[in-house]
Amino acid sequence: MNVGTVETPTPERPANAGRSARKKVGDRVFQALTTTVGVAVLVVLTVITVFLFVKAWPALRSARLGFFTETKWFPDTDPPAFGVAALLWGTLLSSVIALMIAVPVAIGSALYTTEYAPAVVGRWLGYLIDLLAAVPSVVYGFWGVMFLVPRMIPLQQWLAHHLGFIPLFHDPDNLFGKSMFAASVVLALMVLPIVAAITREVFRQVPRDMREAALALGATRWEMIRTAVLPASRSGIFGAIVLGLGRALGETIAIALVLAATFDINLNILKPGGNTIAANVATKFGDAGSLGRSALVASGLVLFAITLAATLAARGVIRRTGRAAAGLA
Amino acid sequence: MTGSVPERNGGSVPERNGGSVPERNGETVLDAPLPPDTEPPSLLSGKGRLRRSQAVAAAAVGVVVAAIAFALTPLQGRADFLLVGWIFGTIAYLVAAGRIEGRRSVVDRLAGVFMVTAVVVCLIALGSVLIYTVVRGAKALSLDFFTHSMKGVGPRDTTGGAYHAIIGTLQEVLLASLISVPAGLLVAIYLTEYGTGPLAKAISTMVDVMVGIPSVIAGLFIYAFWVLALHQGFSGFAASLALSILMLPIVVRSAEEMIKLVPASLREASYALGIPRWRTLLRVVLPTASAGITTGVMLAVARVTGETAPLLLTSFGFDSTRTNPFSGPEESLPLFVFRQASSAFDTAIDRAWAAALTLIIVVVALTVAARLLTLRNQLKS
Amino acid sequence: MKRRVPVGLATLCAFALVATACGSSSKSATTNTTNSTPAAGAKDTASLSGAGSTFVQSMLQEWIKQYGKVAPGVSINYQGVGSGAGIQQLTAKTVDIAGSDVGLKPEEQAATGGPGAVVTVPWVAGGIAVEYNLAQVKTLKLSPDTLADIFSGKIAKWDDAAIKAENSGVSLPSTGIQVVHRSDGSGTTQVFTSYLKAAAAPGLWDYPTDKDWHAPAGTGAKGSDGVTAAVKQADGAIGYAEVSFPKQSSLGTATIKNNGGQFVGPTASAVTAAIGDATPKDDGTLTLNYTPTSPTAYPISTTSYLMFYKDGDPTKTVALKHFAQWVLTDGQKLAEGLDYAPLPQSILTPAMAAVSG
Repeated sequence: MNVGTVETPTPERPANAGRSARKKVGDRVFQALTTTVGVAVLVVLTVITVFLFVKAWPALRSARLGFFTETKWFPDTDPPAFGVAALLWGTLLSSVIALMIAVPVAIGSALYTTEYAPAVVGRWLGYLIDLLAAVPSVVYGFWGVMFLVPRMIPLQQWLAHHLGFIPLFHDPDNLFGKSMFAASVVLALMVLPIVAAITREVFRQVPRDMREAALALGATRWEMIRTAVLPASRSGIFGAIVLGLGRALGETIAIALVLAATFDINLNILKPGGNTIAANVATKFGDAGSLGRSALVASGLVLFAITLAATLAARGVIRRTGRAAAGLA
Repeated sequence: MTGSVPERNGGSVPERNGGSVPERNGETVLDAPLPPDTEPPSLLSGKGRLRRSQAVAAAAVGVVVAAIAFALTPLQGRADFLLVGWIFGTIAYLVAAGRIEGRRSVVDRLAGVFMVTAVVVCLIALGSVLIYTVVRGAKALSLDFFTHSMKGVGPRDTTGGAYHAIIGTLQEVLLASLISVPAGLLVAIYLTEYGTGPLAKAISTMVDVMVGIPSVIAGLFIYAFWVLALHQGFSGFAASLALSILMLPIVVRSAEEMIKLVPASLREASYALGIPRWRTLLRVVLPTASAGITTGVMLAVARVTGETAPLLLTSFGFDSTRTNPFSGPEESLPLFVFRQASSAFDTAIDRAWAAALTLIIVVVALTVAARLLTLRNQLKS
Repeated sequence: MKRRVPVGLATLCAFALVATACGSSSKSATTNTTNSTPAAGAKDTASLSGAGSTFVQSMLQEWIKQYGKVAPGVSINYQGVGSGAGIQQLTAKTVDIAGSDVGLKPEEQAATGGPGAVVTVPWVAGGIAVEYNLAQVKTLKLSPDTLADIFSGKIAKWDDAAIKAENSGVSLPSTGIQVVHRSDGSGTTQVFTSYLKAAAAPGLWDYPTDKDWHAPAGTGAKGSDGVTAAVKQADGAIGYAEVSFPKQSSLGTATIKNNGGQFVGPTASAVTAAIGDATPKDDGTLTLNYTPTSPTAYPISTTSYLMFYKDGDPTKTVALKHFAQWVLTDGQKLAEGLDYAPLPQSILTPAMAAVSG
């Protein structure tokens, strides 16, 4: 991204040149056209959101407040019993763990490519890491189930045996496999390129003089990063993390394939089980009855609300991180 | 692994100025120029400077210690050895750095080791996904795979291919582009050229919100609105609608950036010739920004081509070629992968991996093309 | 200052056009229609669409392929969307054929135009296998009571006394049992739980018999493929899936104790024998007997149903009837090769009459 952005001219038209009526009409028409499209997009999305509410309403009315406290998901039985409590827990837990894995790695790789590696090597490493974003989520899902999950069992056993005293790593009676931990690792791989690409851009934008000043004062490279680069990039890193979080919260197919779906709230991340809102939509969608579909739409509404809150919270920051975010998010 | 830790010189950061900068914490201040054949002393503590050979030797000692540990203790396993060897090697390397260069250098080099490790982790992840897909996918990949659909293919047949899925993906992505690119451009023009006041702010906020919309939500939007409420049923077009929700913000943001980058002098020259603003936009501003906008569009296309969740909810999947994307469920490459892989039969699983490989190749090609375009653009300007 | 906006799009556009133009939709290999006497329907031309049960999907793919040789003019498309969605599409008349694992509910029947408006016949049978992953155990015998205790989580270890008692001579490890069930709604789950409820001693299986899994034990996986993959990956895991899944993944399948006291595996003949004990209902579906009396029957067996409008579009109906007749005769011979089971003659005869009438 170019720092030296050129200012756009003011909306006023230049007052030289004889303006014919035709020109004026042309400009008016063009302005009206762009405005209309802008408003149309706004309206269409608002209408669609309203329909999301409309279609979610039967489920919300049926479940009432239980929608937020119930863990089970049986919308099509009589009487129906369903709620997003367990799904919400799983969504947040898997996203947080994924970020805890992905963010240090992403920032580390971004720092290496911008601060340590020679410029050419850094650029190519950046391209390579960006390729992680080119792998579709369905491929991550199948790769996760067939390749990663079996190979992660020894690691999970090790964690359970040595760190089992921590509730997160309780030994799940030696049953290992499609756990929240495994799913979070797959999720981390999908979040990684987003956070890495944005933080890389952010680090590149730190003015050269700040680095040079730190180095001139005799700082080591790490001290330069700690005192000059990281403080200047703080808000950009935050924006990257929020966008990564958005991706993690909404990931569907990979989680649906990798996570062993259960509907309970469990802190033990090594135990196979757990579920997320998005993954539940993908698994239950095919055979859902009418209330079931409504319930799935309602759960989507909850997910939408969460991502909306996260995005709005980071709005200003995200705008600044600009194109890198849009290209990879 | 630790051997690959780079020397501190080299890299994009400007070289530090040899021995003439005084040490900040002021133990020794080096002023006298050094004989040319000696290593420049470290600025860290005034001790020595860890040479590359010493670093490698130290790391090797660590790995050897790990190997001895594996020979003598119950430790075993290839992955475990890599991990333990890496930890021991790093420790030995840091100890060496500490002895020769002092404490601050240890922190600096530890950070370096961490960053290299992060890059290596990324590359291992990328490599294992790509290699696994290539190995599994190459089996069923043949010319027939690209020219045949799944119509009338029995479960045990090795025939059948992704022709219909490729057509579906092309149709859906093309339709999504036809919707989101013009709309995105116009919105971007509005935001950069005309937008002021609360309306522009609202639209801009909405674009930000759209950047953060998870793809499954985009699918649910169209599912609730188009499929359920308007009773339009599953179709390729419904999928395009969902994909354009995902594409639009990317197009808007990149177009906005690119339009802002067009030099004001170009516009002014155009205005000076008496050309009205709208024609200046169409004839001068957009063409100038076109390469950048194209890159943005290609990245947007690459982004949505691999999406599965919104397609599952909107186009559902189908076994034969759909020439009209406006009616009836349609297949696409991601759905093809998803559906074929859910079969019991190995023939279908092989097809799924072949399609996964195809999909990755398409997305990577788009991404690389976008990069090349950016590079060429940068070279020009 | 060339204009380069449309290049990418134009390329894409050209691609799509060329691709759509060149490939004639599908050139599925095999065109040898040499053998077999010309069956009914050889002269029909129609394009039929179907949707519904995923249980029959593999079978239907094979039927459609083979029927294409008998009646080249008839093209059939089938979407595995789930039984419920298939019926919805049939009532909305957006498809000609629905495949369903269950009969029409009264309100659905009303929506189709009352009883009799839709012809419902069973078209293929299949067993639901209990698949397990124990490296050292080649054969595993289970009674319905033990099975219910395993899947409800009451039996947690493979060397539990109840399992040992049924498998004398087999050395069972002390590995924990990891139950895997479907996470998506499925007719397979419904049949399996219905079997547990009917066959196990009263009180042992107290959970609803539903498309969704209600018991607290175990973990879910999407689709029979997901269940099978999960079982295959975890030592000590057990799950249930259509026979083709464990067979294709070379997983062990348990033999189940039937009402005759025999331990029987899910072979095609054992499934056919079990379906022979089902009783036809007025609506064309069968009341399955999960405790079949035949000593050779595999009790966890089920059928899937074909549904179509009796008085639909005339040309389509003629073609459809011919297809159904072929499925109920020649089509049955293809079942075993795909790990399904042919229907017994006692079921086929009335079905044939219903289709032809």
